[in-house]
Formats: sequence, structure tokens, C-alpha cells
Amino acid sequence: MSALLSFRHLRKSFGERELLDAGPFAIGEGEAYVITGDNGSGKTTLLRILAGLEEGEIAGFEFHGLPLDHGSLPDAVRHDIVYVHQHPYLFHTTIMHNIGYGLAARGIHGTERRRLAEEAIAWAGVDHLRAIYPPKLSGGEKQRVALARAKVLRPRLFLLDEPTANLDGEARGQAIALIRQLVQDQSSLLIACHDRELIELPGMRRFHLEGGKLTQV
Amino acid sequence: MDILGSTRQAFALLLSGDAELWTIIWISLRVSLVALAAATPPAVVLGYALAQKRFPGRRILVVLIQGLLSFPTVVVGLILYILLTRQGPLGSWHLLFTQGAMIMGQAVIAFPVLTAFALAAVQGADPRAHETAVSLGASPLRATLTTLLEVRFAVVAGIFNGFGRVISEVGCAMMVGGNIAGVTRNIPTAIALETSKGDFAQGIALGVVLMLFALGISIALGLLQGRGGLK
Repeated sequence: MSALLSFRHLRKSFGERELLDAGPFAIGEGEAYVITGDNGSGKTTLLRILAGLEEGEIAGFEFHGLPLDHGSLPDAVRHDIVYVHQHPYLFHTTIMHNIGYGLAARGIHGTERRRLAEEAIAWAGVDHLRAIYPPKLSGGEKQRVALARAKVLRPRLFLLDEPTANLDGEARGQAIALIRQLVQDQSSLLIACHDRELIELPGMRRFHLEGGKLTQV
Repeated sequence: MDILGSTRQAFALLLSGDAELWTIIWISLRVSLVALAAATPPAVVLGYALAQKRFPGRRILVVLIQGLLSFPTVVVGLILYILLTRQGPLGSWHLLFTQGAMIMGQAVIAFPVLTAFALAAVQGADPRAHETAVSLGASPLRATLTTLLEVRFAVVAGIFNGFGRVISEVGCAMMVGGNIAGVTRNIPTAIALETSKGDFAQGIALGVVLMLFALGISIALGLLQGRGGLK
């Protein structure tokens, strides 16, 4: 297994309280990982540090063989990692523009951007939501748009924070179906979650975070 | 004073396209819009920086901006007058009693309003907006513009408020503009002058225009509110 992302040691403290003291840890290319743990165990913080959204002390941090300083990610790496919030934020614009946002940030414009966004809209099954203003979408619909917005960028690594939390019934099933498809497509995923169905997806590697330590289950 | 008669006369003046009256209105609009156009970009940048960045002197700047919100416009005019007068440090610019001086004054008056609104808007923005932009690969500049776009309603409300403050201020315009007919006479200075002369018709006509501006601002804000995703 070639490591896509790895670190030797990761620490994060809030004042006196040490939240994370984990490592070594490695994510293999094309592998899916799930991290379980109680609320407040540091799952979200871990994902946010790896996404470059939060500072942490990381030793031996590497992405695709490239050594990285903790706390900041070069553009090339930032473009390879997409983090999706537990409650995704959709910009106050159309769904099309939301999904095309990251493409525009990568300099992809015009018909190519529209084509890729259309593909992602079809993949997530959100075509019927086009005319609805994003803040008015349900939690499940927002999650699907956010997954489409991430997938369209073809990142090397998806960091998904509790993608099915607060979803139930059909909405949860639809989000799980999209994530299952990402796993089947051999995307690299690191998912923080409690959802049994996601944890038990075939091919999922399981880790548990407790007392700041990551242990394989 | 015959209020009804003066009001009738005022509307007659407005509708007849009285050149002097419309020149005053044009000067007012031009000066205020140019002042806002000049003050808005740096004010929004400062408001954003004060909300998002931590740097030495930040708190002092925030207090200063909040204090300047209620700074008397006549004092702004006085300071600018001292700077622009022939013996003053900026005397060589020959700006005193020109529209340029009025624009400078109004830009200074609008600046804290614009900054305070931008600061409040960005501080109140959902932090996930910026994080989402960054996570989707936006450059720092693009992520900043995206955040500002997400709070555009509040930022634009600041611009309208700034416009309301400068279009109706009389102290600074009088001091650095000099109320010269056809050059620096704007709506507020004209109202003050005409009223002191006992010519209420023109004063009322200009007052009506100012109130229409206020109503226009309110309608524009309401429309924006409808499109801004706010309830």
C-alpha cells in the first residue's frame, strides 16, 4: 500500500487539555477509512488539521511523498484534499455555482465547468433542486450537493465529517449511497462518523479515537 | 409663512425642471457618490481585516472607528479646512471651496460607517463560508471575496447608510465647499441658505428630494433584503 497521507505524530491541545496525541497514521491511496469515537474525542479536529483548516503539531507529515509543515498546506496539496463539514455550508447562489466553485478556483471555466458540474449534479441526483435557493434545502439535500461539490474536483482525498449525522430515513440512505459509490470508485476517504451502516461498508478500514489516541479496530 | 403655498411652489419648481434646483441636486449626488466610491474599497478592506485578522493595535482601531461614527461632521470640515487652507499643509492642492474638498470630507465622514458595517458583517459571517471556500481550493483573495459576497447584504446596507449620512450632512460641505452657487452648493447647504433668506419653496423642494432619496434607499435595501436570503 502506498501512503497518500501520513504522519508520525500529531498533537493538539486546548490550554491544559490535550485533545489529540496520535500517530503514526497513514492513509493508503484508494482506501477508505472511518474514525469512530465519542463526541468531543477530537475526530472533527483531526480532520480539520489534516485539511489545513486548523493548526496542530504534526511531525513527519507527508502527502503523496511531499513533506509538509504543519498548519499550512501548499496549493497543490490543498487542491488534492477536500473537507466537507458535518453541516455543509452552501454559498448563497445557485446549486450550479456552488458545484462549480472549486472548478473556478482551479481555473476551469466555461463549457468545461458546466459539463463537469452537470455530471456531478446527475451523480448526486440533485437535478430537481436547481431552482431552489440553497439555504432553503434540507440537511440531506445540502449534504448531497456538498458531496457533489467535492467529487467534481476529483480530489485525491475526501475528508468527510459526520456525513450522515442528523440525517434520517431517505436522506441518510441517499448520502450513504453516494459515499458507498465513492468507496467503490476507489476514492481515498477519511470519514469521521458514528453511523453503523457507513462503518460496516465493505472495504472500510476502521480506527477508533479515544483519549487522543488512534487505534485500529 | 404660507406652508401650503410654499409647498405648491416647491413642486412646481421641481416639475418645471428649474435649472438651478437640478444643478444643486446633481452636485449633491455627484459629490456623495464619488465620495462613497472612493471610501468603500479601503473601508471594506479595513473592516474585513479588523474582523478576521489579529494584529497589534486592532482593538484601538475598532474603538477609534466606533468613536468616529458619531464624530460631528462640522469638526471633520474644520480639520479639513485647516489642512486645505492656503497656509495649511495641503494648501498647495488648491482644493478648498471645490467639489474635490467636499468629496474628501464626505469620504472621511462615510469611512467609519462603511468600516463598521463591513466589520460587523464579516464578524457575523458563518465561519464555514470562508473554510468551505478554502477547502474547495480558493486562493486567500478569492476566499475573502467569497466571504464578503456571502455577507453582501450587510456590506451594501453600510454603503446605503454611508450615503444617507453624507447626502444629508451640511457642516463639512458648508465649511470646505463654501456653498458656491453652481459649483459647491448641494442640497443641505442650499436648504440652509434658502431658509435663512426666507425662500421656503426651494428649501421644501430640496427637502422633498432628500426625503425621496431616503425612501429610495429604503426600497433598495428592501429589494436587496429579498434577494439576500434574509427573512
